[in-house]
Amino acid sequence: MTLVLGALAVGAIYAIVAIGYNIVFISSKTFNFAQAQLMMVGAFVAYSGLVSWNLPWVVVLLIAGAIVAVVAGLEERIAVRPVRDPHNILVTTLGVSILLDGAAQLIWGTQPLTVPFVAGDRAINVLGGRAYPVELALIGLACLLVALIVLFTRRTKYGMALLAIAEDREAAQLRGINVRALAFAAFVASGLLAGFVGLFVGPATFAVSTLGASLALKGFVALAIGGFGSFPGALVGGIVVGLVEVGAARYLGGDFVHLMIFALLLLVLMLRPAGLFARAKERMV
Amino acid sequence: MDSLRALARRVDALPLWVLPLALGVAVIFVPQALGDYSIQRQMQLSLILCLLVSGLNLSLGYAGELALGQVAMFAGGAYAAGLLSTYGHTDIVLQLLVAGLVAVAVGIITGVPGLRLNSWSLAMTSFFLVLLLPDVISIFKEETGGRNGLVTMHRGTLLGEPVKGDAYFVVIAVVTLLWFVVMRNIIVSRHGTALRVLKQSPVLAQSVGISVFRMKLLAYALGSVPAGLAGALFANLDLFLSPEAFSFTYATTILAASIVGGSASVYGAVVGAVILQFGLNQSSDYTRYSLVITGSFLLICGVLLPGGLASLARAGWRRLVGRREVDMAAVRALSTGLPKIAGQSLRVEQVTKSFGGNRALAEVDLEARPGRVTALIGPNGSGKTTLLNVVCGFYRPDAGAIHLGNVRIDRMAPHRVARAGVTRTFQTPNIPPGITVLEAVIAGRYMTRRVSMIEAVLRLPRFWRVRREDEVEAWRALDLVGIAETAYLEATSLPLGQRRLLEVARCLVARPGLLLLDEVASGLDEDEVARLRGLIRRVADAGATVLLVEHNFQLVLDLADEIVALAHGSVMARGTPEQIANDPRVLSEYLGVEPSRDDGEASVLSRLMSDSITGGDK
Repeated sequence: MTLVLGALAVGAIYAIVAIGYNIVFISSKTFNFAQAQLMMVGAFVAYSGLVSWNLPWVVVLLIAGAIVAVVAGLEERIAVRPVRDPHNILVTTLGVSILLDGAAQLIWGTQPLTVPFVAGDRAINVLGGRAYPVELALIGLACLLVALIVLFTRRTKYGMALLAIAEDREAAQLRGINVRALAFAAFVASGLLAGFVGLFVGPATFAVSTLGASLALKGFVALAIGGFGSFPGALVGGIVVGLVEVGAARYLGGDFVHLMIFALLLLVLMLRPAGLFARAKERMV
Repeated sequence: MDSLRALARRVDALPLWVLPLALGVAVIFVPQALGDYSIQRQMQLSLILCLLVSGLNLSLGYAGELALGQVAMFAGGAYAAGLLSTYGHTDIVLQLLVAGLVAVAVGIITGVPGLRLNSWSLAMTSFFLVLLLPDVISIFKEETGGRNGLVTMHRGTLLGEPVKGDAYFVVIAVVTLLWFVVMRNIIVSRHGTALRVLKQSPVLAQSVGISVFRMKLLAYALGSVPAGLAGALFANLDLFLSPEAFSFTYATTILAASIVGGSASVYGAVVGAVILQFGLNQSSDYTRYSLVITGSFLLICGVLLPGGLASLARAGWRRLVGRREVDMAAVRALSTGLPKIAGQSLRVEQVTKSFGGNRALAEVDLEARPGRVTALIGPNGSGKTTLLNVVCGFYRPDAGAIHLGNVRIDRMAPHRVARAGVTRTFQTPNIPPGITVLEAVIAGRYMTRRVSMIEAVLRLPRFWRVRREDEVEAWRALDLVGIAETAYLEATSLPLGQRRLLEVARCLVARPGLLLLDEVASGLDEDEVARLRGLIRRVADAGATVLLVEHNFQLVLDLADEIVALAHGSVMARGTPEQIANDPRVLSEYLGVEPSRDDGEASVLSRLMSDSITGGDK
């Protein structure tokens, strides 16, 4: 059970990355390569706030959210909006992600930093296993996020506008939806989310400048499993990746973790390229 | 300025490959000219980076697929060569061969799943390879030396003689030069044009018979060859390999070099590689700032300079040389009028297609026969374009069958339908940027005569023969539609009317069994419509089967042998122009004329009719 809880917690992190990808993807059909790096920045800011400046965690939460939201907003303005060709957006957002990696290295160094968790780091007994508070918090957070987003998109005007954009950008524009403003808002929201989550991810993984690349890839696998655009899918995908990761580490050894996740990705792409929860669309001319 | 332009024109008239080849050969003699060891080493590393970047360009610049796995193929090639060497197989040619094959294998394993979904999948699966590298090297610790590195290599040999120092520099330079010859010959061939078409418009690519998946896989797998070669060359350079050489940072350097130099160019790779190798490695804090620098490069060039330095150079050169004139007399000399076209009959039987609850086509029957113009009319949303898309294979019908001649085509992928002989124009002309009018027309011949990649690379006689035929046919088609004088202009720069005519020319060069014209007259001025009318008639008379979707009622009445009117997804009426023009349902549904209160409005139609029958311009 301890293993399963650990796997769920790791999976929750990947699910949250995938949720970030999805928020941006739905609103602008863009794949934001730098999503995981935003989360990494959140974790680093959490470290600075909690350890270096010794601030109360609520303040740190707000600061991290604000800083990362600004970074994400800048990214949209500089690297996404002015670029016409979608092939190129992939390059420019990758550029942003590499830039953030490099900046994090310069500011915080290359050594892993331990981020303390609000609710302490004493393991507690849950459901016949042992788990750290941060692990439970991550699992809860991922589930809560998916529930909130699903409610938001089904019940609110802006949520439905987002779905309309995802379905048909031009038609949405014709119905009076401000597509550009919503795309920007989605970037900022995904940044805000990444900043907040940094306080939870940092304690679980350490804050380290290689965190972005590894989270980006595993979050992508979670997304591929769940299907592009599906939030519950992202959650399920994240959990599957978490289980494979922990299982491979336990039974095959650490060297095999990435290999097994890679095999999982290839398998999903070969068998269900559209993912488990998304419909395949017919091509349009 | 004028003398400069004259000089530029003279250079422009030379074959384009002379200059790069001369430069490449010059590089071979650099070690003799320069004794300096550190510069020599930088150059060797630059050449290796050139190979890597060039492979990425094939995939990113030409096939439009971002791939970050060059480093993994590089490592695959390097370790393959390293292990061969460890076990005593020191022959460099053998190592290059094996390294290339290993890299291609890695390319195919990641390319097949990665290309199935969308453009991010390949980026991610290939990116994953970079992350996997240290793990794989560590799993095979015994053979690879793990983190400590592979130190057991022997000096490489060529024909039994050990190769070192200046001689090894020559080996690297020659291999690089040879690859660039291969690369250039691929790009300057119909395969290169096919890749450009594919990148800009997968839909168009399929409609001229290109299989999107196979072509992308081919480009990506071919792009891994130079990475494998680079690996073998790198392994023999220091006779030492460690995982650090194949880091994420190096992967980003390759990408940055590609973007800076211009991904969609052959020689941009050299410029980008030299800039990154020499420029960045000179700054002392390179390792600290390398990620920030490459990240900024990607961002800045991606936003401000999308085509890289190559596109800048190309634009500058074009401005210097000026506009190239078409020798119309030579074009006229080629023209032989319209040759016979072996049209095939199209039979659409009981075709039904729904999107969700919306029934776009309901049990539609239609037949188009060779030598005749069949027109499809109907109000917006009546299912005309859907029917075309079903015929072309872009949609699969829910029920019914479609035959072209004796071949059933409704279960085929779009590129197979195209190869069966179906060509089409698009409602919005579908013309890829970055190619000339002439090239855009030649793209239409992709499915006619096959020329393999090998034949193109080696420039075998068949390649030249087919290329000549392509050009002659393209000139003839351009002359037929009347836009030959625009042949050297960039295709996307033409006004709408000429772009439509270009699409017709692109269809004609394929000698199509079936020609589908989707609203080809809209946006044309009167003269152009008249010319188009004559052209379509001649094409049909030459034996082609023409299916015309058209809003210009006058044109339809003039041209069509049979008219099929659609409404709400089903056939409302069919018959000769006279029958259709007098059909009460067509009048009310399509023209919005109420037959009950005729006199006024219905006479508009009868006037149209009598115009076309007594016809001024016929």
